Amino acid sequence: MAVADDVFLLVRERIEIQALMEKLKAPEDGAAVVFDGFVRNNFKGQQTLYLEYESYEPMAHAKMREIGADIHQKFPVHRVAIVHRLGRLEIGETSVVIAVTSPHRAAAFEACRYAIDALKRVVPIWKKEYFAGGAVWAEGEKSWQKANLRRNESTS
Amino acid sequence: MQIRVLFFGQLQEITGVTQEDAELSEGARVDDLFERYGRRFPKLAEFRGSVATAVNQEYADWRTKLAPGDEVAFLPPVSGG
Repeated sequence: MAVADDVFLLVRERIEIQALMEKLKAPEDGAAVVFDGFVRNNFKGQQTLYLEYESYEPMAHAKMREIGADIHQKFPVHRVAIVHRLGRLEIGETSVVIAVTSPHRAAAFEACRYAIDALKRVVPIWKKEYFAGGAVWAEGEKSWQKANLRRNESTS
Repeated sequence: MQIRVLFFGQLQEITGVTQEDAELSEGARVDDLFERYGRRFPKLAEFRGSVATAVNQEYADWRTKLAPGDEVAFLPPVSGG
């Protein structure tokens, strides 16, 4: 498995999707699926001004690598990239990119979906939303325990 | 024994602590450490039901026994993506 060619990054600058894809796309693959998560301009009817993301970086990095390793066990894909941006993000800016390359599309679609769902459950990153009237921490996912249990079951 | 303690997100705002070292007696568990901070910051204690814990950057149980030099993090529900 070409795990060495996987990409797991926490960055503070703009995510350049095209440059990332050029690195990931190998001639023997025929498919790449990209998930681009970007900043929405509203939350529960309120207009969002901007977001701030913070992370427990060493653990987040480790968890992203684990998700990558899980994907290679579960799906016949070639390369996996998980890139998350931290710090202040403006409306419309990309906060997360998941990219999966594969010889065939079905596995790439499934693996991409798996990766973003897993990221939202287990990777220690937090989002704070800023509005005209103040700021709130996003409610977040408490299902990390379930995700962790599933992981243990699948690897044991 | 000395333990490194970290708070993130909302929990960091409540405590005003990003990271610090705490002195605990041998045999202490994650739970004991959180209780101590709960006494220091009563508002923190109210969040216990939603807090996840990590020991040495891996999700851990409240009952996990700590060892000298361990890094313990208290994490609010994650909201990346």
